[in-house]
Amino acid sequence: MVEALLETEALTRRFGALAAVAGISLRIEAGAVHAIIGPNGAGKSTFLNLLSGELKTTSGRVRFRGEDVTRAPPDRLSRLGIGRSYQTANVFPELSARECVWIASHSRKDGEARVAERGARALAACGLAARSDVAAGQLSYGEQRQLEIAMMLATEPILLLVDEPLAGLGHDEARTIVDLLREVARNRTLVLVEHDMDAVFSIADTVTVLVDGRVLETGSPQAIRESPRVREAYLGEEE
Amino acid sequence: MNASRRTRVALLVFAVALALVPLSGDRFWVQFAAKMMIAALFAMSLDLLVGYAGIVSLAHAAFFGLGAYLLAGLTNGAGLVSPLATFPLALAGTAVAALVIGFLSVRTSGVYLVMITLAFTQMLYFLFGEAPGLGGSDGLYVAQRPRLSAFGTTLLDLGNGRTAYFFIWAALVAIYLLLARTVRAPFGRVLAGIRINEARMRTLGYRTRRYKIAAFVAAGALAGLAGVLDATLYGFVNPAIFGWRQSGLVLVTVLLGGKGTLYGPALGAVLLGVLEHFGEKWTAYWNALIGAVAIATVLALPGGLAGLLRGSRG
Repeated sequence: MVEALLETEALTRRFGALAAVAGISLRIEAGAVHAIIGPNGAGKSTFLNLLSGELKTTSGRVRFRGEDVTRAPPDRLSRLGIGRSYQTANVFPELSARECVWIASHSRKDGEARVAERGARALAACGLAARSDVAAGQLSYGEQRQLEIAMMLATEPILLLVDEPLAGLGHDEARTIVDLLREVARNRTLVLVEHDMDAVFSIADTVTVLVDGRVLETGSPQAIRESPRVREAYLGEEE
Repeated sequence: MNASRRTRVALLVFAVALALVPLSGDRFWVQFAAKMMIAALFAMSLDLLVGYAGIVSLAHAAFFGLGAYLLAGLTNGAGLVSPLATFPLALAGTAVAALVIGFLSVRTSGVYLVMITLAFTQMLYFLFGEAPGLGGSDGLYVAQRPRLSAFGTTLLDLGNGRTAYFFIWAALVAIYLLLARTVRAPFGRVLAGIRINEARMRTLGYRTRRYKIAAFVAAGALAGLAGVLDATLYGFVNPAIFGWRQSGLVLVTVLLGGKGTLYGPALGAVLLGVLEHFGEKWTAYWNALIGAVAIATVLALPGGLAGLLRGSRG
């Protein structure tokens, strides 16, 4: 079997008596857009936080490019190539968009010319070139989400962990982000947590459904859409 | 971030005015202004930590005290008089202490960091206050003021009040320019990112603790320099300079002046010095007066004196 880009083995995280993530074993294939869906409280964000190192694992393993990174701190995972964006825009409100992206890009420490070039490219890719001097806190909510993704791209990650990029966005703004993610995913691997099912089914190659911290089912969007178990547990309520 | 032209002109005028103080010929005012400049340097060094890195430390007086005692120790104990030897050694010693204290302190944050740095300060205060070899509560005289001689001629005699004054003036200007450059450099911008959102900086790949320790060491060494200059100016050190009261006062100075501006805390130090001098003459309750000024500033001027100078409130 070809090695997955990222693989979890019985990954578990407990908060007291509650197992928010209860033994998830998942393969994220290189180049795929792997969506993770599930009802509120299913453990999706906790799962992402375990992959990014922001939460410590209770038990189980995470392997990234064949290396055991279960105990690695977030800064090391970032340097290994795991990028992260957040449910609520997690930017530096006092700094301009350009400075936010510069900070992200500078973390790679490969010379100021490259840092600036990579930052400018990330801003342009996210449609913010004309807004680069505006303070991040003054950008519209949608633009802050674009900036969030630009910051992630400026670190040149191999694997992107994207948490609910469409939450709280209007229809047009959401469209912009979906187009952006589709573009971003062309040569990168994406783990996408998202509630908007139309968006998920339009860009995902693989969909995993989480319920109560466990994997209910993993498959192609088509297979997930047609799965009776998924319909019963989750999709049925939505439609 | 860039100081406006108006601020630059005001600072230039202020620096020139300070350079002219010795022309007055009045020994008291020359020493008073020198003391203010040392306090300004001390406050600016803390601003790097509080205003840029967002680390609120109560250990800052400890580094000031260590710098002063190291100068006294190197002069009295090792017979070193040349500032080319004593100054770098005292600064290096302070930096090592800041590295140890910083390494242990920045693992924590917020009120815990305040507590742990306070504990270190008090440890040193009692150590220097009780140990007889260190002068005890009486303190120590600096046997000889720093003096640079070559081939039998004295090139720089810091025992001379006027020479010491210009030396301190030059140190203040140089350190201001150095810090202003540092906070605009990548290092300073990364510190700002850590202050605003440290968790995000970590997921962007930064080893944030290393940056915080580096800021702690740089700020500590500069506080040590302020202590070295203090011991040079007065020729005397005593354990009271270690007290947590001093650490608290320099923190108030930074807030009063406007944190994150460098020149604000420097102006704050001057204002507090002037308030103390005249307040003491006017009323026995001058400490309460300083408290009132601090409260009024925090409530009405969140940007401190610097905010007032920039014409924006906060």
